[in-house]
Amino acid sequence: MAKLSLMFEQKLVKEVPIGNRPVTIGRSPDNDLPVDNLAVSNYHARVYFEGARLVVEDLDSLNGTFVNDLRVERATLHDGDSIWIGKHHIKVDATADTAIPWDSGRKTAAPKINETMVLDTKVRRDMLQQAAAMGERSQFSPGRMKMPTLIVLNGRVDQKEYVLTNKLTVIGKSPMATVRLRGWFKPRVAAQINQRDDGYYLGTGAKIPVVNGSPIPGPVRLNDGDLIEICGVRMNFVIRE
Amino acid sequence: MQIVSGGVTDLGRVRSNNEDSFRIVEPLNLFILSDGMGGEAHGEIASSLAVDTIEKICSSSKGDAEVTLDGTSTSENWTEPTRVLQNAVFQANFGIYQSSQEHPEQRGMGATLTVGWINGSKLSLAHVGDSRAYLLRTGSLQQLTNDHSLVAEQVRRGIITPQQAEESEMQSVLLRALGAHPEVDVDLDEFELFPRDVLLLCSDGLTRMVTEPEIAGTLQAETDPEKAAQKLVDLANERGGLDNVTVIVARLQDESKGWFSWLRRDSGKKD
Repeated sequence: MAKLSLMFEQKLVKEVPIGNRPVTIGRSPDNDLPVDNLAVSNYHARVYFEGARLVVEDLDSLNGTFVNDLRVERATLHDGDSIWIGKHHIKVDATADTAIPWDSGRKTAAPKINETMVLDTKVRRDMLQQAAAMGERSQFSPGRMKMPTLIVLNGRVDQKEYVLTNKLTVIGKSPMATVRLRGWFKPRVAAQINQRDDGYYLGTGAKIPVVNGSPIPGPVRLNDGDLIEICGVRMNFVIRE
Repeated sequence: MQIVSGGVTDLGRVRSNNEDSFRIVEPLNLFILSDGMGGEAHGEIASSLAVDTIEKICSSSKGDAEVTLDGTSTSENWTEPTRVLQNAVFQANFGIYQSSQEHPEQRGMGATLTVGWINGSKLSLAHVGDSRAYLLRTGSLQQLTNDHSLVAEQVRRGIITPQQAEESEMQSVLLRALGAHPEVDVDLDEFELFPRDVLLLCSDGLTRMVTEPEIAGTLQAETDPEKAAQKLVDLANERGGLDNVTVIVARLQDESKGWFSWLRRDSGKKD
């Protein structure tokens, strides 16, 4: 059974098994693992199973929770990991029936950039946070859901508006098209919208769409409020929040 | 739908070994591409393990996809082949992870994986890492996968621009790959295909060297899939060939329905 061992220096202070209930860690004595130190918050962190994965979660503690030297908000734990809280550390024994040792030495090294490498979830969160702190320009706010939508102004199609939820949105007469054009001589695929990392791109199909009055030369990134004209249909691209 | 396909893998101009693997399973219309990583020859081990596992599981599946290694089931209602693919990717991931646990010298080996499986007019896609799937349709190239790389994630979060991502020295840093953990998150997707669509799977050795308009142009100009794949590989090598390059091209033939299709094509022109 998986267990946590609270250590101070090299001495074992307390050991608790991890069952179905989360193991709570903090200065308050009602924690499963009470840690008597002023650097530790009353309810500091907790450890629990999420499926087969053992997870540590920091409970907004003042001084933070560290897994193998990295500050984490939430991280997957592996056998042999150490959780550091103040001057105490907690050894993770995740062995169930089969031992899955974890090579904890390799993730402390700075990434070597030439070789393709995979980031640990912990390292990754850290790097993204650092990057986010540097990138003042970030328009992205994780709290808001963005809903890119096509609003039909006029023309013969099957709906008044379309929320773009797929990687690929086909505008055409085909029964498989998302935006279905009606009427004679309409192409099966008149144009397409491709969701990419930095936004939505309108590309040509059998027709060249017109965006804000000009025919597009190739795939163009759509901006909030753009006016699209294709096969006699006029649509507004808007990003709803 | 009739499909013709071809694939090419190449060492590139700089690397001393090819860590990419690919496979085309023609009777199934199954296309598998994997880019391995790890020291010595371990990248090859990882990528070929991935490719073998996917082929084995997809070939032997008879519509029984209830066995999953990991508890993370997707909430979406995917078709049977997509669910089989998901399971196959779980197995491939666990296989690589397990092998690296059993062989200490293989520690840290991993692989990307991009699989396309066409059943009827439906394309099932499973994807982990920074290899890519594209669709060329009516002359425009659409990217069907998102890279699981640090720079792509930064672009998605609006921290850097796609241009900055292309210049970043962090391009090789992946957030997801097979073999790093006992379980893996897999991107799954399904697409309706049209006659004359061209599916392209490629490793980052292509996309870092060759621009998308060039890829689109090559695929349009060369209708033989094998030759098109070779031309793209050649292009990547002309630009420096800094990494292994692997390309799979699958082209959906036009349905031939005699006079009816001729009539329809004709009506399309008048429009």
